[in-house]
Amino acid sequence: MTAAGIVAGLVIGLGLLLWVTALIRQDRLYAGYGVIFIVGTLAAMSVLAIPPLLQFATEASVALMPVSSLSLVAIVLLTFLVVYVFIQISVLSNRVMKLTQELAIRGAERDRANGKPAGSVR
Amino acid sequence: MDTSTASPHRTLVAIPAYNEAATIRNVVERVRLNLPDCDLVVVNDGSTDATADVLAESGATVVAHLCNLGYGRAIQTAVLYAERAGYDRLVTLDADGQHDPAQVRPLLAEFDSGRWDLLIGSRYVVSRSYAGVPLGRRVGMQVFSSLVGVMTGRRVYDTTSGLKIIGRQTFAALRNWQFIDFHAEALVYVMRLGFRVGESPITVEERRHGTTMYSALSHIKYPLKTALMVVLGVVEASLTRRRTQ
Repeated sequence: MTAAGIVAGLVIGLGLLLWVTALIRQDRLYAGYGVIFIVGTLAAMSVLAIPPLLQFATEASVALMPVSSLSLVAIVLLTFLVVYVFIQISVLSNRVMKLTQELAIRGAERDRANGKPAGSVR
Repeated sequence: MDTSTASPHRTLVAIPAYNEAATIRNVVERVRLNLPDCDLVVVNDGSTDATADVLAESGATVVAHLCNLGYGRAIQTAVLYAERAGYDRLVTLDADGQHDPAQVRPLLAEFDSGRWDLLIGSRYVVSRSYAGVPLGRRVGMQVFSSLVGVMTGRRVYDTTSGLKIIGRQTFAALRNWQFIDFHAEALVYVMRLGFRVGESPITVEERRHGTTMYSALSHIKYPLKTALMVVLGVVEASLTRRRTQ
């Protein structure tokens, strides 16, 4: 891989890392998903940055021909698309979580106010 | 009946429970016996066993999640409940019976000294070693204890204790941030916000029923997630402090 290609890959990886961490901090991406992206991106960046590792990965994956830069664009696009899907899942999950907490608290408050036996909300 | 009004501080004891039908009745009874001046709420975190039925028979106040949200969110629900109901402090206890509610009394006395905003019932603060703890868990405890020390300048020896006393002043911070299991990531966040976190010694009993909430896979994911949230907690706390200054 050319030096320019490695730099471009590292910049994209860094961008992805910053984006993912910002999303987790804003509670728009669940930390469990974020960890997968962060570990994956760091692994990819390490392979890119360390030439013997890149050589090893290339040989281990039995790459017989050079990969076109167009396929790299597709991989980057796919990665960002996957992150976007996980953002939507996390946002929905957060809404369900808040609804569940709110229902639970209101149920308990109602039971206490009505003097009903506990545990009537399941 | 609300009996906490007799105390100068209104105290809520919260027990997050997930599939703890075998132990929850005993824990509820021991809390009532040892802490009659405190109110009690059990957060039933979407249990699929007979926990809900056992709780209904016990007459305890139940905040029932319709689905399982996890330990951290169950604690957050308890914080929300305590804040809305106007409690001064929240005591969290594990539902597996490992914590003796009788040990809460000295912790409350220590908390009343006014030195702490959040007090942890700590298994290791006296010995400052994790002797007798299984190797994997011991490494985790040491790593997260050290991480808290590095991030806050103050070491906490028992970051995973489920017995905590949380003061009203920290409620808002704890409901506004996301936590994994309310362990190191929560402690670092509140400490970086300037709240005072202390440890007071306790002993725990061996778990006799049920299983740990950590699966084999979570032994890999948990440290990664928690470490990530510790770092992000530092960033978030810094931004929050800057916004409020």
